[in-house]
Amino acid sequence: MENDVTVELKNLYMNYGSKEVLKGINLEVHKGEIVGYIGTNGAGKSTTIKIILGILEGYTGQVKVVGQDISKNRTEYKRKIGYVPEAAEIYDNLTAAEYLTFIGELYGISYETSGRKAKRLMEILGVGDSYNSRINSFSKGMKQKVLIISSLLHNPDILMLDEPLSGLDANSVMVVKEILTQLSNQGKTIFYSSHIMDVVEKISNRIVLLNDGQIVADGSFDELKTKSKEGSLEQIFNQITGFNKYESIAEEFVSIIEEV
Amino acid sequence: MKEFKILGFLDKLKPLFEKLGADYFIMRRILQIKLVMDGRRVPTVFAGKNNDKNADSDNKFFKSLWIYVLMGLILIPFIIMKNNYIYQMSIVFVIVMFFIMTSLISDFSSVLLDIKDKVIIGIRPVDPKTLRLAKTIHISIYMFFITGALTGPALLVSLFTQGIVFFLIFLLSLILLNMFIIVLTALAYFLVLRFFDGEKLKDIINYIQIVLSITLMLGYQLLGRLFSIANLDIQFTPKWWQYFMVPVWFSAPFQMIKKSEVNSRYVIFTIMAVVIPIISILVYTKLMPAFERNLQKLSNNYEKNKKTKGKSVQLLSKILCRNREERIFFRFAFDMMKNEREFKLKVYPTLAYSIFFPFIFVLQLLTNTNISEISQGKSYLYIYLCGMMLPTVIITLRYSEGYKGAWIYKALPINNIEPVFKGTIKAFIIKLFFPIILFQSIIFTIIFGVRIVPDLLMVFLNMMIFNILCFLALEKYLPFSEAFQSSQQGNGGITLILFMLLGVLAGIHFILTRVSYGVYIYLVLSFIVNLVLWKLSFNVSPYKINRNFH
Repeated sequence: MENDVTVELKNLYMNYGSKEVLKGINLEVHKGEIVGYIGTNGAGKSTTIKIILGILEGYTGQVKVVGQDISKNRTEYKRKIGYVPEAAEIYDNLTAAEYLTFIGELYGISYETSGRKAKRLMEILGVGDSYNSRINSFSKGMKQKVLIISSLLHNPDILMLDEPLSGLDANSVMVVKEILTQLSNQGKTIFYSSHIMDVVEKISNRIVLLNDGQIVADGSFDELKTKSKEGSLEQIFNQITGFNKYESIAEEFVSIIEEV
Repeated sequence: MKEFKILGFLDKLKPLFEKLGADYFIMRRILQIKLVMDGRRVPTVFAGKNNDKNADSDNKFFKSLWIYVLMGLILIPFIIMKNNYIYQMSIVFVIVMFFIMTSLISDFSSVLLDIKDKVIIGIRPVDPKTLRLAKTIHISIYMFFITGALTGPALLVSLFTQGIVFFLIFLLSLILLNMFIIVLTALAYFLVLRFFDGEKLKDIINYIQIVLSITLMLGYQLLGRLFSIANLDIQFTPKWWQYFMVPVWFSAPFQMIKKSEVNSRYVIFTIMAVVIPIISILVYTKLMPAFERNLQKLSNNYEKNKKTKGKSVQLLSKILCRNREERIFFRFAFDMMKNEREFKLKVYPTLAYSIFFPFIFVLQLLTNTNISEISQGKSYLYIYLCGMMLPTVIITLRYSEGYKGAWIYKALPINNIEPVFKGTIKAFIIKLFFPIILFQSIIFTIIFGVRIVPDLLMVFLNMMIFNILCFLALEKYLPFSEAFQSSQQGNGGITLILFMLLGVLAGIHFILTRVSYGVYIYLVLSFIVNLVLWKLSFNVSPYKINRNFH
């Protein structure tokens, strides 16, 4: 199965000024995989995602999406990708209807089709009543639902999700998780970036751990577990990122609080 | 979705845009969305008045255009004159450049500096060329309307007084000038972002917004007075630095055509006026990608820790505040006034107004008398006019961008509200009121002599009384606890009464200047009144405070 590679990163380097953020990332992601992309703050997760999305330039190395080098044709491959950004970036002066139809049309879907689709998706997620309200009046969870819908309107093959569950209530979380599983069963590739280890552990069938701009672990949860002899992804994460002083930090923190 | 007439007009130019490499349908859609969003935004010229009643009805921008029409009337005398075109047209172009550039910076920075576009549109299959063209047209539409409003009357007058050739050159110059201004602004941003971070740029933009608001406010005052200097009989002497003065380039062709003064210098100016804007546009399109890369800095907010000058505020709070809680809120209010951009945008123009207002009145006297006569008189009492800003500023103290943070008042164990208000008002007096009254006093002492120092002391004490009266009369809100959006209703009547009280205070002062030692006796009395008022006024019953927690 050579041809089911959807995203391919080769020797990816990136620096902001003198600061090296990515130090040689090599990664092949296949059809139907849910990749839990994890790492500490500043490890380079968002940078990688932004490079794949084509909104960050100045990298060295090669990025291929469905077999095409993205630096050759910068626009067309984006039809295959859907993205849920972390910082809810959205035109919140618009109503959900205005925003979603606009996004649909950018993908070349007609106004009517994207409107019909968006409205039905909103209704299913329980926010159909707000379809014609301004997004800036929405709660965090409602905004997140709009973002998720906007990333899926064009039925993309690859999904890039950056903390997609933030702000959602427990029931909506169940729904979205199930949606992701079903989408991956259909052969879609999902990049799942998050800090909530329990969710990553359950949802992904492959985990990629990034530390200081490099991939330090790559494999299924069970593989990582046998390798590191730890029980949970959180513990594995702590062990691999070399973080073992959480107790002493907490101790110090509490002792400062007690000083008054 | 709303249709815009302007888009219908652009449809006619569709082949042109497609030739430039844009996907016209997508470009039109982006523009439509942008125009819808603009309709829900308030331009800086309206900054003072936030009426959110019919938020969605029409683009507020178009309603703000009449202000530019009014400002544009200044241009007319310079257009009618036939003395020296180099001078008069230079003045015209200076004014036009000033207004267009400042309004571009204050209201359309968000367009030039948009980073949301990158994440929302940049990740979709949209050709960067289409997006850039959409952005350029978006700005151009507004430049067209602002320039139209500002120069429309002047253009019309020029057609009738100076003829068709003048009119056409004027029109062409304005188009070239606009192009140049867009590029110049973008390059300025480019440079700032190259060397500083996004926060610095936001500060700079904030100050330019403030300058625009101040100029517009003072413009009304100066409008009439400007007409009297319409006699320009100065000889034009060529200097090397004129090659760097953009307005001079554009005024050269007028001199050549109307006065038939053709020389190499004017020809060079004219060529520069045509060639440089065109070159700059070309350079700009080349630099656009680099510019966009620098824009990423706007989203990174890792500002280096500045050395905080907390020491002096700390010291001030220790001297001026009696108890600990008061000190805390003094520092809090001080920091909020220092950092909050929206607050500065609302308050600084008012402050500038109050600085200039007394001088405008004193200067007006000059038309009838001379300076030595004025300095003997009592017109220094005009200094009371600067108290007119106090109610507005004290009202503004209740607003904040981060009004949602006001939950702290509720959550913290504050058992007495008095120090909250006292600390805030003291911080306002030290940070904003005192510097202004001091500055004004110094200038007035220079004009009127040391003899007025006791009077100035009396003015200061009276103003302090007025401060407290304002606080007492106005509705009480917790400081920084309301959104700027909520309209400032119901304060008009109270403000008017307060102005009358200010007049009464000034009146008492005026009468006392006729009584020997009156001022000195009043100083003592006023000092006591101040002490009593400060003691009693801030003990506000918690039930009188308007709380709209969000």
